[in-house]
Parts: sequence; structure tokens; C-alpha cells
Amino acid sequence: MNGSKRTVSLPLCPTSTKRATTDGASRAAIEQGAHHDRSRREPVKPAKFTYYAPETVAEIIALLGRYGDDARPLAGGQSLVPLMNMRVARPAVLVDLNRCKALDAVSDDDGTLVLGPMVRQSGGERSELVRRLCPLLAQTLRFTGPRAVRNRATIGGSLAHADPVAELPGAALALDATFVIEGANGRRTLKPDAFFVGQLTTAIEPGEFLREIRIPKAAANTVSAFIESGARQEGVAIGGVAAQITLAGEVCQDIRLAAIGVGSGPVRLTATERTLLGRKLSEALITEAAKAAEDDVDPTTDLHATAHYRKRLTVALAERAIKQALAGPRTN
Amino acid sequence: MPWPSARSSKRSPDRGRTENLVAETRSSGYIGRAVPRLEDSRLLRGLGRYVDDLAAPPGTLHLAFLRSPHAHARIGSIRTAAAAAIPGVHVIATAADLAGLFTALRADYERPGFNRSEWYSIAVDRARYAGEIVAVAVADSPYVAEDVLELIEVEYAPLPAVVTVADAVKPGVASLHPNIGNVFFQGSFKSPGFDAAFAAAPVIVRETFTGSRIASAPMEPRGGLAVYDPGRDDLTYHATTQMPHIMRTAIAESFGWSESQIRIIAPDIGGGFGPKAYIYPEDILSIALARKLERPVKWFCDRMEDLQTTLQARDHRFDGELALDRQGIIQALRVRIEVNAGAYAGYPFGSSIEAAGGAVMMPGPYRLKYYAYEARSIATNVCPAGAYRGVSQPTAFFVMEGLLDRAAAKLGLDPAEIRLRNILHADEFPYTNAIGIRYDIGSYEECLKRALALGDYAGYRSRQTPTRFVEGKYRGVGIACFTEHTGQGASRYRDRGIRRMPGYDSAVVKVLPGGKAAAYVSQTEIGQGSITTCAQIVADRLGLDINDVTIVEGDTSLTPHGSGTGASRGAVAAGGAVLRAADKVREKMLRIAGDFLEASPKDIELNDGYAHVAGAPQLRVAIAEIAAVAHAAHDRPPPKGHGFGLEATDHYDPPHVYITNATHLAWVAVDPATGLVSVERYLVVHDCGRVINPLVVEGQIHGAVAQGLGQALMERIVHGADGQQQTVHFLDYLLPTALDLPPIEIAHLETPSPETAGGFKGVGEGGVIGALPALANAVADALKSFNANINRLPLAPDHVLDLIDQHRDRRVTAA
Repeated sequence: MNGSKRTVSLPLCPTSTKRATTDGASRAAIEQGAHHDRSRREPVKPAKFTYYAPETVAEIIALLGRYGDDARPLAGGQSLVPLMNMRVARPAVLVDLNRCKALDAVSDDDGTLVLGPMVRQSGGERSELVRRLCPLLAQTLRFTGPRAVRNRATIGGSLAHADPVAELPGAALALDATFVIEGANGRRTLKPDAFFVGQLTTAIEPGEFLREIRIPKAAANTVSAFIESGARQEGVAIGGVAAQITLAGEVCQDIRLAAIGVGSGPVRLTATERTLLGRKLSEALITEAAKAAEDDVDPTTDLHATAHYRKRLTVALAERAIKQALAGPRTN
Repeated sequence: MPWPSARSSKRSPDRGRTENLVAETRSSGYIGRAVPRLEDSRLLRGLGRYVDDLAAPPGTLHLAFLRSPHAHARIGSIRTAAAAAIPGVHVIATAADLAGLFTALRADYERPGFNRSEWYSIAVDRARYAGEIVAVAVADSPYVAEDVLELIEVEYAPLPAVVTVADAVKPGVASLHPNIGNVFFQGSFKSPGFDAAFAAAPVIVRETFTGSRIASAPMEPRGGLAVYDPGRDDLTYHATTQMPHIMRTAIAESFGWSESQIRIIAPDIGGGFGPKAYIYPEDILSIALARKLERPVKWFCDRMEDLQTTLQARDHRFDGELALDRQGIIQALRVRIEVNAGAYAGYPFGSSIEAAGGAVMMPGPYRLKYYAYEARSIATNVCPAGAYRGVSQPTAFFVMEGLLDRAAAKLGLDPAEIRLRNILHADEFPYTNAIGIRYDIGSYEECLKRALALGDYAGYRSRQTPTRFVEGKYRGVGIACFTEHTGQGASRYRDRGIRRMPGYDSAVVKVLPGGKAAAYVSQTEIGQGSITTCAQIVADRLGLDINDVTIVEGDTSLTPHGSGTGASRGAVAAGGAVLRAADKVREKMLRIAGDFLEASPKDIELNDGYAHVAGAPQLRVAIAEIAAVAHAAHDRPPPKGHGFGLEATDHYDPPHVYITNATHLAWVAVDPATGLVSVERYLVVHDCGRVINPLVVEGQIHGAVAQGLGQALMERIVHGADGQQQTVHFLDYLLPTALDLPPIEIAHLETPSPETAGGFKGVGEGGVIGALPALANAVADALKSFNANINRLPLAPDHVLDLIDQHRDRRVTAA
């Protein structure tokens, strides 16, 4: 499925704008990676690519450095592989991260939850550490796909893919996550505003990959919720809202709300946050504040919903997410 | 025996009339019993064998198809040298390379109303929809074939594309096919006296209803494996087809070949739903290439190709007008139907299938004397459209039931009451409707009443408030009464102008020397459970254990000629053929048994593997021994006047069309903040004549209701103004999942047909037909306080929220 075969417009564009690769002309047979059995040369559905399966971070960085713009890391493959099969994504080189044991750890770094990019979504959902330090992340992971997909899909993969209707970028924004990016020149860290550049586009440069996600532990007396809505009970959502609120008694001491499906990336609902911050959270105030979310988002019309609907939905989901969060348990 | 004795599933709140029948048929065995499907053990364990699972013979070449990216374009030069030079590529074939190998398929009749057109399997000079094949890559592997498509350079000169019916019939728009003016088909009808009756009616309700174009989306896309024997000049083609015999005829015709040289095999089929009844360009091209290259050839569509090129459906606009008296009694119905038929008329059903089908099936379960329709099928630059489960009946009853609810509202009647005043009563059968279709028998009124009782409709209505607002959501109930055209025979197809569908089906039933039986049936199992139901009929008639019966379908060299699977015909036409052939074999078995037992064949029963004298079960002979006599493996000769052999062939042409009836009730909740519709309860009361297997019937209803729910709430194919289809994968083309479905309660009423073999009628499509109007009317009821006009599908969240918003100001707020 390539340009000359069909000119269908797909909402999922293949690669970040920094990595547009269209070198699709037939290459010779698939080259196998240095650490892979060279005897297996089975053909595959995607356009031809070179496959590497490194086992260490150093090897990953070396490969990404060598191939730069042509390379694409492969995490759980739940978005990238279908796009490659449709030949919408056509990376020349695939660097498979799945054999690198160092990338799937979950740890507590002195009050900061540290996630390797290859932590499976189902693993994160089940992790006691994640649930204790970052309940919103565990809550969000219940929505990231059907269980079979979550068993394979990774937290880092979804964040780096940056689909505008993906749940995890919304949670990362609400959680004020820090993204650690690593390449030949070492590490750099970015906050969500800087990390999510646009639709399916992040600030990860050629030669780099998402090395770690760091999320501050939820403060005491914090409540949270993630909700989303689509045409189906299960499947890709039209929109969703992640909410994390820290309370002092009934008063909102800190609040971060992030919406998905209303822009090129996750969007903070700052007008709603401002209305609630420092005030006692009554039902009426929440309803009032949620209406302000209309001013925070500027969605577009697509196949699944009109822009107008997406605004309306964001208001409804913001109100519900806040109320659902308040109805849940507070952190210690 | 391990079979459950209950006739209905646990979900059935009421077994209806079926219990009586169980008592009647228990002695004769299998017909009517909830036998678990014989197919399931194999399919659920992953032992099914679909076309793509078949081992390709050595030397098989694989195809990939270069498809026009333009909805409408002139095709200039095609440069293939670069692609052909890639190692592993055998040839790149264009229309010029294949010229003369096959002819175009012509589905339609030469008769008034039809503007005949051709569908040639590869674009010559001009592509008429995005997805039409322009060139074929033939390579050693499917991957190489797909890789080289992008090296083929095609010069396209885009032409203006007509995407909608309105565009296609504008003055001055070029005709897509010679001399058709973009009208494939048009038909009309008016009852004598219609105008006067319509003019005299004091109450008229009018509405324009539209559906979205949808895809059938079978789990298994289309594919084929063509194996050509150059020495014998014969072909075996393994295909994802519902109608192998019709495919054989089409191929023979297109290639000028003998049908006797062509064998079509449909192995396990992963869902058909109508579109797999058609012959596709890929079928013709793969066979042409297999014959030309003298090599086996295989192709298989991926999901994107399937969603873009497998025949689509339901791109309808119906303008309906219902005239009534002040008591709500229907006086006349007029409808104008326009179908966007896409770029070509598909073989075998042709261009009239949806337009004429909708018109003919519209009158439904009500007393209607005066009816008028105008219907036409319009050619456009999108994927061809055709038969999909229910054909136009879902839209027709979306219209009819929608108009009735509007009439009820206008007259201040309850939707149930207006239906009770118009629905046919038991004493009115046989009933001939306004366009001459005869309803043999049914339980129309009883079905409606039973549904209202099982659903506690009156209680629900009494608890409803004018706002319909309960616990944060607007809640409502919708009723749909409808008829389903099933079991059509040859005469109906000829009347409808469908030339390529034989209308009859056939079976060969054999009892083999060891005393076990096999039946070879002209239909094809595509998931509906026909292996089980045919085995039940054979086991029942021959007194055998069902596990001693083998059913063979889907192979033109093993099975007798017939129509195949579609149009809710299987139980009637193929089931009837099996029943009649089995009864011929039974007759001979009784004669042989009579010789053994020194009794009259009239007094002998066949049960549990034995023939015995009625009332004297100890006087018996094993069916294995009877078979031995018939096959010269016994000292005893066959009875006087009989030779050896124990098999029979029979054909069954259902004399007419058999109308079944059902009532669906749907309860929905609409979230006013998100516009999301959830279905909270769903009830089906139906009557498909004598039930062969209630489990199979319930499976048909469950699957069809799911597809109807998809069409009502979420499915839609979207095109850009340029004719490009934008919904090409399952991220964008939404299908319902199990989570979107409520438990479906089913009650069976059983009124055996006095006319069909066995009293069977069909049930394959009713679930879809009822789901559209039931769900649409339920949403309209839930949003009654907004006066929301539900006339367009799907009821996607943004559409529903718009309906609420548009009418929020005009809301009826009386509590």
C-alpha cells in the first residue's frame, strides 16, 4: 500500500516529520541484524527493511546513530507493525528493542517512578509500584487497548508514537512526566510540552530514542481518574480526559487536566484548572469549570467526529473525570 | 444422547410455540432439535481449512494488483519494464497482455428498465473507481509481487468523478458506460386506484431516509488459488465463494470453456454475507494467468483491498410517503428509491438487486392495498454495490417503521397500537400483497403481541415520563415489525429480472455399503451451520445417528448443480432438496427392510440405525444390513423391481418466495453529554416456519442483529469529493464488538409453511432487517422530548448530539 498504488488519506501518518522516509524502492533481500540468525530470510508483508536486534543500550545507540533518519526503534509493534504492513510506514532500518533487558525495569528513585520504555502496558497496570506511586498511570493503562494488545504494547512505544487519541500521552501530561531521551551525545530530558511536538511527532531526534520516563510520585491527598469515550465500548476513543487533583480538605490545592483527541497532541485544560485551583470543589463549580474547557481546545473535524462534537465531549469528560476522581480514594 | 432437550437457549424468556413441536417430532429424530453444530469442534480447534491455508502446489505464482488511485481517469501508457526486471518477478500483465483471453461479465438482462453494461476485469483505457485493477504483478512470492507494484509507471489523466447519485444524474455529466446515462436500472409500479386512494387520505406523513454506504467486512477477505492442468486443459479453482456453481458458469462463459473442465472448490469460508456470491476481477485474472502461464496462481486480498473493493451496500435514499385515515389505518404507501450502485453491475445479481429489491420487499407485514414505487440504480465512480445480508430490506423497514411511528405521533396513537391496527391477522392467510407477492402463512399479529408481552411494553410505557429522562440518560423503546423474503425459487428471480441465479438447489444422498450416509449439496457452508442442519435432515429421514452422516458442500465436481448460499434460501431450497433426496433413499430402504421383516414398507420405521416394524421394535434389521443388500454385499438380493445402489438425487425449486415475520423490540439509553447510544435490552420474537435447529437459528439472529446494530450506530464508508474512499481499515471503519451488544432474547414461534418441503422457511437476514428500525425508533423514542428526526444512519455520537442540540430549544418540557 504505497503512494503509487493508492492515494488514500490515512489519519495515521507514518513517521515523525523529522524522519520522513520514502525510500521504498526494492532493496535486496532483508539483511539480518548482527545478532540475528542469518539463515532466516523469510519474506514479510511490509516494504523491505533491515532488521537489527541489539541486546544492549550501547548497541542500540550505535545502530540508531549509524542509520539516523532511516532507522526506527521497534517496541511492542502494536502501532508500527500494522502501519508497516499497510506500507504507510516504511522505515529502512528497524532496531528491535525487545531483546534489551535493561529497558523494561520499573523502579522508585527516591519518590520518582522510573519506567523503562519497554515496560509492557499490562505490566505497568499490574505493577504495585505504579499503583502506589502513580495511580493515574495504572488507571489509564486499563484503557490503552484490549488485553492482548496491552500484553505486547509498551508504555514507551505509545508515548513515542504520539497518536493524538492515545491515552498515555494524556496521562503523561497530567502527571507532568519527564522524558529522558538518549543518543550518541548522551541524555537530555524534556517535559511533555516540549516532548510532544505534533501529530505522531515527538522531539526525539534521529539517532536518539526514549530511554526512560520519570513521573513524580503523587502527593498525599491526591485523587485521579482517566475516562474516555468513543463510538464503541472498546477501541479507539474519540476523546478522553486525565485528571489528577491534590486536595487540602475539600479545597483544590493542585490540579492537572489533560485531554486527548482534541489536537495534534495532548492538551492541558488550563482554563478549567484555573477556575478550580484554590477553591472548594462543589458540584456546581465543577460543572461551571468544565465548560471553560471549550476554550482550551481547538480540535478539527475528522472521520470520527466533528470539531464541535470534540469540544462538547471534552467538556463532558472533564466534568466526569473530575467527579470520578473525587469519588475515588486519596493517596496517603 | 447428549443433546439438550430444551428448544430454546437460556436467554429465551419463552419457548413460544416450539415446545409443542418438540413433542410431535421427537419420535422422528433430529429435525427440530438443538443439536450443537457439527462444524464447531473443527473450527474452534483451529482445524478449519480456508483458501489461504491450502498448501500451494510447487511452482505457484503469486499475484498483486496495481489499482487505480483515481476514482475516474483515462489511462495512458503503462511502463512495466523496471518492475519486470526485478528478480522473482515473472511478468507484469496489463489489459493489453490479457486481451482476448476472457470476455467481460454481463449480469443484467436485456429487458425494459435495464441499461446493460459490462464489467471487464482489468481497466482498459479508463478506470471507473479507485481500486479498479490496472495491472497485475506475477511473482514467485506475494511479497515480491507487492514490492514491485510501485515500480509500475502508469500515466493517468484524471477525469471528473461522480461520487453521489445527485452528481451522477446532473445534466451534462458524462456517462460512465456507453449509452446508459448513468442509470443502470429503473423500475416503477402503481396499484390501480392508487392516486385516488392517496388523495383521499386525510393524514400523510413524509420523510426522506438515508443510510450510509457500508462494507460487509467478513473475517476472511477474498482470495483464490487457480490450478490449471495444461495437459487436460482443466482448471481447479479454490475460491472464497458462496456460490461455486454460479462461479463455474460465469468462468466457462467468460473464457469460452466447458463447465465440465472447471472445478470450483469453496473450502471453509470465513463469512460471506452476500458479497462473496459475486465473481470478481481477481477471480477472472488469476484464472487467465494460470491458463496463460500454465502455472498455479494464488492471490489474496488484504484488509485494505477488501474494504475498498469487495462489493459494498446500502448507499440508499428512500423518499417515503404514508397515507392513513384518522384511525391510523394505512391507505397507501409511495416510495422513491435511489441506490448508488457504484461503477459496475456485479455478477450474478446485476444492477437491480438493491433498488428493485427494496421496492418489492417494502410492503411488509401490514394490510396495504395501494402501493406505488419508483426505483433506480445509478452508476457512480465508487466501488460497486450489491447484495449484503438483508439487501434493501433493512432500509425499507427503517422507512416503513419510521413512517408508522411518525404517523402514530401525529395521530396521538401508541406505536404498538398503530401496528396492531394494521398488521395482518392469522385468518387473512394466504394473503397477496399490493404487488402480488403471496404470504403463505405466518404469525404476524401473534409475534407482535408476544413481543409486547415478553417485553412488558405496556408496563415500560406506563413508567415512562414525557422527558424520557432516567438516571442521567434519555431512555426509550423501539418496535419493528417486518417481513423477510426467504427461500426464493426460480420464478421469483425471473420476475425480479435477475438472470444469473438459478433459484433451485440440489442434493445427492447416498447410503454407503457400510450403512453410513453422505449427502452432497449444491449450497456452501459459509458459517451459517448448514452442515449441521443438512445432517439433521438426513439423519432424521434415514434413521441414522447424526455422526454417521457426512455432508459435502462447496465443490462443483462433487455436488450437483444449484444456486449456492444466499438470500436466506439454504433451509428452504437446499434443505428441501436434501429432504426429498433422502426420502427417495428412505423409500428404497423401507422396501428392503420390508423384505427382511416380511412387513409392508408402510409399517416400517427407521430409527437409531435400525428399521423396525411400527409398534414392534424387536422386529428389526440394522440399516447396515439394508445397505449391504443394496450394495451386493449380502446373500439376499435387492427387492423385486429394484436394482443395486442406495442413492438418490433430487432438486428443489421453491415454487414462490416464502415470507417470514418477526418483531424486534430495542431499549436504548442516550447519554446527552456524549451522544452515545447504548442498547440496554434487545428482544426478538420471530417465526421462520418449521425450525430445523433452534441453536443454528439463534446463531443467525445473533450475528445479524450485531451487523444491524453496526449499521445503525457506527458503520459508514466515507469518500472524499474526489471519490477516494477514506475508511480503508478497521481504525476508521468501525465494526461493533461483543461489548457493544446487549444479550439478545429470542422467542421462537413456529408456523410451518404448508407449501415448502419440510415446512421450512429462511432466517438468515431477519436480524439485520429488524435491528435498523428497532434501534432507530428506540433512539427517536428516547429523544422524543427533543422531536429529534431520526432519518439518517449511522446514529454516531456526533450525529446524535447534534440532534439533541438542534432541538434543545424546542424541547417539550412538560413533566
